[in-house]
Amino acid sequence: MKVLIVEDEPKTADYLERGLREQGYVVDVARDGLDGKHMALEYEYDVIVLDVMLPGTDGFSVLHALRERRQTPVIMLTARDRVDDRVRGLREGADDYLVKPFSFLELVARLQALTRRSRGQEAMQLRIADLQIDLLARKAWRNGQRLDLTAKEFALLAALARRKGEILSKTTIAELVWDVNFDSDTNVVEVAVKRLRSKLDDPFKPTLLHTVRGMGYVLEVRDEQSEDA
Amino acid sequence: MKLSISKRLAAMFAVASFVMLAVLSVAMHGLLKRELERHQSNELQARWTMYKPIIMRNDDVEHWEYVRTKFDNSISENNRVSLWVQSNDSRFLYGSSLTDEQRHMIGTRGFGQAMLPGHDAPLKTYSAEVEARGERPAVLLTVGIDSKPFVETLRAFTVGLIALTVVGALGAAGLGYYIARVGMRPLDRLSGEARGLSPGHLSRRLQTDTLAPELSELADSFNGALSRLETAYQQLEAFNADVAHELRTPLGNLIGQTQVTLSRERSVTELKEALHSNLEDLERLRAIVNDMLFLARADRGERAPNRVEVSIAQEVSHAVEYLEFIFEEAGVKVRIEGDAQASIETSLFRRAVTNLLQNAVQHAPRGAEIVVFVLQQPGAIRVSVQNTGSGIAREHLSRLFDRFYRVDSSRSGSRENHGLGLAIVRAVATMHGGTVFAESESGATTIGFTVAA
Ligand SMILES: Nc1ncnc2c1ncn2[C@@H]1O[C@H](COP(=O)(O)OP(=O)(O)OP(=O)(O)O)[C@@H](O)[C@H]1O
Ligand SMILES: [Mg+2]
Repeated sequence: MKVLIVEDEPKTADYLERGLREQGYVVDVARDGLDGKHMALEYEYDVIVLDVMLPGTDGFSVLHALRERRQTPVIMLTARDRVDDRVRGLREGADDYLVKPFSFLELVARLQALTRRSRGQEAMQLRIADLQIDLLARKAWRNGQRLDLTAKEFALLAALARRKGEILSKTTIAELVWDVNFDSDTNVVEVAVKRLRSKLDDPFKPTLLHTVRGMGYVLEVRDEQSEDA
Repeated sequence: MKLSISKRLAAMFAVASFVMLAVLSVAMHGLLKRELERHQSNELQARWTMYKPIIMRNDDVEHWEYVRTKFDNSISENNRVSLWVQSNDSRFLYGSSLTDEQRHMIGTRGFGQAMLPGHDAPLKTYSAEVEARGERPAVLLTVGIDSKPFVETLRAFTVGLIALTVVGALGAAGLGYYIARVGMRPLDRLSGEARGLSPGHLSRRLQTDTLAPELSELADSFNGALSRLETAYQQLEAFNADVAHELRTPLGNLIGQTQVTLSRERSVTELKEALHSNLEDLERLRAIVNDMLFLARADRGERAPNRVEVSIAQEVSHAVEYLEFIFEEAGVKVRIEGDAQASIETSLFRRAVTNLLQNAVQHAPRGAEIVVFVLQQPGAIRVSVQNTGSGIAREHLSRLFDRFYRVDSSRSGSRENHGLGLAIVRAVATMHGGTVFAESESGATTIGFTVAA
């Protein structure tokens, strides 16, 4: 997966580059609008992360130039929480936007959503260790034993299982499970995770649902030593 | 080019007085002309009556010579006067020869006029028949007088009137300009005062007690605008202080924690722990900043941009569904009463309702029931969340919706509650053209908002 980051703020550009590289992306960075426009047009990328406020030419004109030639997915980063910026970005062909300050996990989730869109059909059966999930029948088993999950608990499990090994932020989970697309500081997600855990992990080994403090939750098999407290 | 009000007024005065004087002058000119003409006619008739007996008394050819001498004398005495006697009998004639045209102009009866060579004003005439007597046939006696004095009088008068009109208009302009300047003086004073206003003296106002009624209204509106500005300015200052205060706690934690962690060699686990803890504080900062940005949008007067027509009860039930686990944990039930259709931005609306429900569940005792009322009112839809519990003291009610305001001030800077929940409810209401309200009586607290229908 190849991604271009167009961002002039050095610290932001650096951590994005490192973070995405560690997520397995091949990352190019352009540090102003002119470079960004040039690279976006000359090379092939799977997705472009584009800051709105750039020296040289601003993000909108980069987007404009890009859309005349290519349909590469673009996520805009807007510093101002201004609706007109967002509306303008989406109208001129951006596929998604994030308002600064945004969380890195959020960005990763959006990037995956954008690149997944083109990947097509997903499997209907998921399997992690002894956990087995039938997405169509909305049923789950562990160790051959049926798990008695409510609708929301199943939705939470499915969301995590689909992105096995990825950390999902609370915001992303709230969006996927409850279709809540606003920041909310409720502990709904925590409670839901607690409930799911009591059915998924408490009776079985190994533990699959892990908390990453300050970041979110991940469903994966870990060796017990490296586990968080 | 923009003319000053004084100059404009002066010009208007000038035009007005010019028109008035011009009309007056035309009328006076007409009057004088008529009078002069009447005077001329009287003189002509008087002279005709004076000359007629001379012809009457002499009725044969011998005496006609006498008539001629008499007329000649008369004319040489008064060179303004001309005389003609016309008749079919060539023996009874008098006066210079006339061209056909002149004869035609003079006519045979009554008044006429003719241009004579050597005169620059026309000759006014009066003609009438003198009946036949003896040898003399009926003759036509014409008296003419030179109108030059009349014409000259009229001309002098006209010149005088024109001069008067022009000078009068100019005078009016000058006077008008002066009067306007005097009238404008309070305005000058006012703008001088307005120049003296500055952010440093926000409470200063324009003086209105000595102003004319027209201006004091303007000054009052201006003062009203100043008051609103002052309030906004003060809110902004308080706001900055609030934000700084709220951010100080997590920032302090972050700096302190990081310094402590770095002051010794630490194991990977300890370092990880520190980073996780930092991340929590940072997430909190981010949440606060995002909320502040959201509130700023409402403060700027932004309206909810993506509205759709939906059932309010249904939107409320979405929010209830989201918080379902929380209600179960807290052992409370939620009921929705009433419904209405309204055009709202659903994500904003759900956020507001979520905040209200969250507050209610935090303050309701175990086993309680929370009721959400949806009420259709004229022009607005009212959404309120009611819960039992210890209630809110009266003095807090009005400030509940202020940002960072918490009833229990010891909770300020707390990890869980930022004190922004109700401020966001108010912002959402504002963005939908509505307001907020809160009441707390005999153990039941009702807090809610309206959206414009
Ligand atoms: N239903 C209620 N009953 C009693 N007190 C309430 C109720 N709702 C709000 N309050 C009081 O009003 C204050 C302001 O509420 P608000 O939602 O704005 O902030 P918060 O709940 O403290 O923080 P946040 O919602 O940002 O997490 C709270 O401190 C709370 O004490
Ligand atoms: Mg609250």
